[in-house]
Amino acid sequence: MQKKVFKRSRKAALIFMVPAATLVLQGCGSEQAVEAQVFNTPDECAAFYNPPAQCQAAFAEAQALHPQVAPKYANKQECEADFGVGRCETAPEQHAQGSFFMPMMMGFLAGQMLNRGGMAPQQQQSAAAAGGRNTVPNQPLYKARDDQSTFRTAGNTPVASQPGPTQVRPSAVQPKPATLARRGGFGAQAQQRAAAAPRQTTYGG
Amino acid sequence: MKKVPIAPRPGWQAFAESVGFQFHTIDNEPYWDESAYYQFSLAQIEDDLETPTEQLHQMALDLIPDIVSSEQQLSQLGIPQQFWDAVKESWQRAEPHLYGRMDFAYDGKGPAKLLELNYDTPTSLYETGFFQWVWLEDQQMRGVLPEGADQFNSLQDKLEQAFAELPLPRPFYFSSVTESQEDKGTVDYLMDIALQSGLDSRYIQLEQIGDIDGQLVDLEGYPIQGLFKLYPWEFMLQEEFASTILSSDTRFLEPLWKLLLSNKGILPLLWQKYQGHPNLLPAFFDDGKTALNPGWVRKPLFSREGANVELITPQGEKLQQGGPYTDSGYVRQAFAPLPRFGDSYTLIGSWVVGDLAAGIGIREDNSLITKDSSRFLPHIILD
Repeated sequence: MQKKVFKRSRKAALIFMVPAATLVLQGCGSEQAVEAQVFNTPDECAAFYNPPAQCQAAFAEAQALHPQVAPKYANKQECEADFGVGRCETAPEQHAQGSFFMPMMMGFLAGQMLNRGGMAPQQQQSAAAAGGRNTVPNQPLYKARDDQSTFRTAGNTPVASQPGPTQVRPSAVQPKPATLARRGGFGAQAQQRAAAAPRQTTYGG
Repeated sequence: MKKVPIAPRPGWQAFAESVGFQFHTIDNEPYWDESAYYQFSLAQIEDDLETPTEQLHQMALDLIPDIVSSEQQLSQLGIPQQFWDAVKESWQRAEPHLYGRMDFAYDGKGPAKLLELNYDTPTSLYETGFFQWVWLEDQQMRGVLPEGADQFNSLQDKLEQAFAELPLPRPFYFSSVTESQEDKGTVDYLMDIALQSGLDSRYIQLEQIGDIDGQLVDLEGYPIQGLFKLYPWEFMLQEEFASTILSSDTRFLEPLWKLLLSNKGILPLLWQKYQGHPNLLPAFFDDGKTALNPGWVRKPLFSREGANVELITPQGEKLQQGGPYTDSGYVRQAFAPLPRFGDSYTLIGSWVVGDLAAGIGIREDNSLITKDSSRFLPHIILD
């Protein structure tokens, strides 16, 4: 028997443009929180049953990341208004009127302690091997002026109120470069031509 | 090929809006029009549209190696000199391309005539791939159209396959101009298909794209390594971030070499190489100044939606469409009348995904120049 060959798609489904389906999508894709650890110092980290060398390495990574990800302020007063008097330092970047300022690092988040007692190492390793944004990178933590008990990431995500293990969603704690991007470099032609032809509704064709 | 009146589905507007088709009506004028459909025979589809589409596509691709190594042709096509190397490299690296649309004048008899290639930012994708597909299923379910009716429309299948198979960086970003609801609709549809094929897809407004040290970045400062942009290359090459295009580690859809094919200058180059081909119209580069003779059409190298097109019919009737594309060279193309059905002139957009013909979308306008105010009508195949 000959099967009819159709000239059209087998299906034409939408999952994202349809609001009801979007909810389902979010349900399916909801992210699991994973365990990470928060410490004031590498010594404190080691006291929590972690290998001292790994604590030192995690701390060093966080320190190296600190000048890249810490929020930057054009002057010290603005920085201290957010983080408290005496808790800001000079950032490596310069602007026309002088230096930028950033909060001091008040602790660190250790995301990939591998051989911790009591935790299955395979589980941690597979999470680390998955790479990308599913893992929790080691990173600096900060404390806000009006909330000195909470450790926060450079992106202002609260992660813990005391040292030790905590649960975080990996996507919420990805370090972001604080470098200011130039924006608005595309789209000028659309603006100009829209003025010349106000009815134009598409830049495709 | 014929036009057949049919009752619109009751309440289709609300359904359209519930599935993201906000622009079914534009400025209170209908855009999606299901008060009639076009009917083709299978032979018309396969012999007159599908086969020529793939052949013309291949002919156009075959021109590119010569163009990228010819300063004369790159100049004729209005490509800014500082991008010649980048265009050439994007072709030589075989950067993948996703889709394009050819516009044909075709009346059901005789060869379809190629009017132009929309190979950089083609739209009416959602209307073709999704909404007319659903229209046919609905009308069959209601018993209005016979079960045996088909449609030349494998667009969504082929796009899904392309997203699954193309070597694209992840995450992959999709971008359009903030103010254009229609463009956002097209991009949403592409993102939807990309998500269905498993691609990690994200949207960023075109104006929000950032630049850090010559690298395009998203709102959070992450590098954008893959970007679909529903925005003309010729615009991007004139804007502030033009130099970032050269330095940024970003794969674009469409790739930069598509600038050569979306260019109306490809029409005279095709005619030079394949003069007399049944699907081609005579075409020449034009200075944009000399008076146009009857039976000719003048188009800017870069224009969209019929803007700045000038036309004189063999009978001497003049038509001119204003618009914002006055800053490039021009081509002159022999006039091929769009067939008239009732009060409307009909244009066939024939889609290409990768290198395969993937379906058609039909647009009608009250004028011989098809513009952004034209209407989209569905079609069926029935022998």
